[in-house]
Amino acid sequence: MNVTLDQLVGHGIILTSVEDVLQWGRKSAIWPMIFGLACCAIEMMGMVAPRFDVARFGAEVFRGTPRQSDLIIIAGRLSVKMAPVLRRLYEQMPEPKWVLAMGACASCGGVFNNYAIVQGADKVVPVDIYVPGCPPSPDAVIFGLMELQKKIQAQRPLSQPVA
Amino acid sequence: MTTAATDISLAELIKARCPGAVTGAGEFRGETTLTTTPENLHRLLSTLKTDLGFNYLADIAGADYPGRSKRFEVNYQVSSIPANRSVRVKVSVGEDEPLPTATDVWKTANWHEREIFDLFGVRFSGHPDLRRILCPDFWTGHPLRKDFPLDGEEVAFTHNQDSIKPQEAIWKKGLGKAEYALEQGTADVGEETTMVINMGPQHPSTHGVLRLVLQLDGETVLRTIPHIGYLHTGIEKTAENLTWQQAVVVTDRMDYLSPPTNNLAYALAVEKLMGIEIPERAQDIRVLIAELTRLASHLIALGTHAMELGAMSVFFYCWRDRELILDIMDFLSGVRMMTSFINIGGVRADLPDGFHKKVQDFLDVFPASVDEYDGLLTNNRIWEKRTLGVSVITPEEALDYALSGPNIRGSGIKWDLRKDRPYLTYPKYSFDVPVGKTGDVYDRYLVRLEEMRQSREICVQALKQISPRGEFRTADRKISPPPKEELERNMEALIHHFLLYTRGFQPPEGEVYSAIESARGELGIYLVSDGSNKPYRMHVRAPSFVSLQILPALCEGGLVADVIAAIGSLDPVMGEVDR
Repeated sequence: MNVTLDQLVGHGIILTSVEDVLQWGRKSAIWPMIFGLACCAIEMMGMVAPRFDVARFGAEVFRGTPRQSDLIIIAGRLSVKMAPVLRRLYEQMPEPKWVLAMGACASCGGVFNNYAIVQGADKVVPVDIYVPGCPPSPDAVIFGLMELQKKIQAQRPLSQPVA
Repeated sequence: MTTAATDISLAELIKARCPGAVTGAGEFRGETTLTTTPENLHRLLSTLKTDLGFNYLADIAGADYPGRSKRFEVNYQVSSIPANRSVRVKVSVGEDEPLPTATDVWKTANWHEREIFDLFGVRFSGHPDLRRILCPDFWTGHPLRKDFPLDGEEVAFTHNQDSIKPQEAIWKKGLGKAEYALEQGTADVGEETTMVINMGPQHPSTHGVLRLVLQLDGETVLRTIPHIGYLHTGIEKTAENLTWQQAVVVTDRMDYLSPPTNNLAYALAVEKLMGIEIPERAQDIRVLIAELTRLASHLIALGTHAMELGAMSVFFYCWRDRELILDIMDFLSGVRMMTSFINIGGVRADLPDGFHKKVQDFLDVFPASVDEYDGLLTNNRIWEKRTLGVSVITPEEALDYALSGPNIRGSGIKWDLRKDRPYLTYPKYSFDVPVGKTGDVYDRYLVRLEEMRQSREICVQALKQISPRGEFRTADRKISPPPKEELERNMEALIHHFLLYTRGFQPPEGEVYSAIESARGELGIYLVSDGSNKPYRMHVRAPSFVSLQILPALCEGGLVADVIAAIGSLDPVMGEVDR
């Protein structure tokens, strides 16, 4: 059988790698954890609500337990009292997992440069995507989510160990 | 409002009823302050409550004056709800001197005293459970003391990048100690049939980072221990390090379901302190914004509460309408939530073109939406079964715990600061204050639903009052910046502008407590000015902080499933609880 690539595609067959399919699946069904800290959590809820409808991007299945989630959206300011809890939640999530720091406070402490707030959630857990804003509007978070999807698609879990 | 003359006689009356307890009486901006000593404090407070009918302890605020021989000051803001008058009791106390607790007089004093213990280190003798409340257990020091640094981390520039000390990772002390509070307070009950479970701070139905430790016997809740402070942000300390006008921005982030109301409470307090009046049109705009915000806030309260009890569709419908309000805010200020639009001296800018139509469009569609929620829930059998007769608050309890807003009105007490202690131009508008009958979850739901209809009525009236163009902030150039045209022609305007933006204004020395009716109740701001350009002390009487205290009393003896109904019906916002 001498079949060219073009002929295969013409028959509805595509060629890809296992990794690509795997990552395509992962990025298209992100399950975020229900983890609202402060003001940003309200906009995060807005993202799920009808107008912005994050279901269009496959990330509407919010889970109440870290054991079923693969994304934490750190939505709000992270206090010194909450930081150990966040660390623990992160450790309870199964691999692969991603972290999105939503808003100024989660990214760098925001306007609260003081004793009570950890100056950036990245001091506690590794952060993949930072979304600026105070609070970021739901479309900004969706943009962050799409950037994360690009990042996930580019990851190579089989050829490289997951960090 | 009580006049100054009757307040003076009130001070005399209290002196006569409680001889020797009052060491001084003062008057500032229409507020009466009585000074007392730690020995006489408890006697004075008891007399106020039992003999003089001061049945409502609105707030206790601490303050630190390191230069004084007795460095701490504790201020009790006491009100009488039937007589509608209030008085502040002030006591000075030294570092190692205990104060008698007021928890046996008013139950609401409990968390206030814990907060003062946590943030200032003042001890209260006889307090049932004096431990930290906002800061973590592994914390050292008392952050609101003036000698405690603001901390945080310096911003890196080329000149200082090598000398910056990273913020100390205090949080690491809490690692592996997540269960530390599980045993706390439950150790004395050792029955084998009971189980202790932890709920939160990461939980879908606790309205944020509230944490409850529940001790259960089967499905029955034996004890509930709330742990708060997981969102402690140091807003009060941060505000004390900003100028008066700058501090408006941090107030947005307390009650994040209704940010403009926080701006309003703070702005009114500063205006009271400075004794300034703002133009009537600006007041009308503030009323309109405050009521739109109340609608947005009640929509979330209703939507999330219904979702937690299983009615998911209500959540989606409520969000549909809330987006319309956020659109108005966006149109007005450029931001959806944290507008900081109401600031000291008026509002930030004049209304944009087309504002009236946008608001009118929303007000036209809104009644049908409320009717829709009404139809979905009010006679819904599942909703009734989950809420009727659940978590009943009696009027006596409501006063003892100093509830406010829809929570106290749900118990049948008609107490609404918009009517009872009017501010802004509220007396101009006609609206009803709905009250409940039994004080259960269902009644609090009905009160909120009806309040939405009434708020819409106020919005309709306010919108008619507001002309499209006009004054939107005070003309006092010491407070509000001069407009661009004036800047180009007038040297004096330029000086005012420069001073306002480099140094800010300096209110006179004094202290005030000013409260408004936010979506959750009495949002009070206690301010102390030392005559400088920054607040010496800013304390927030957060309605959710106060109302959340009643939660153990509501849950104990009930079922686990009702805990969710109780939390939702109190409508706490953790940003405001923890500040």
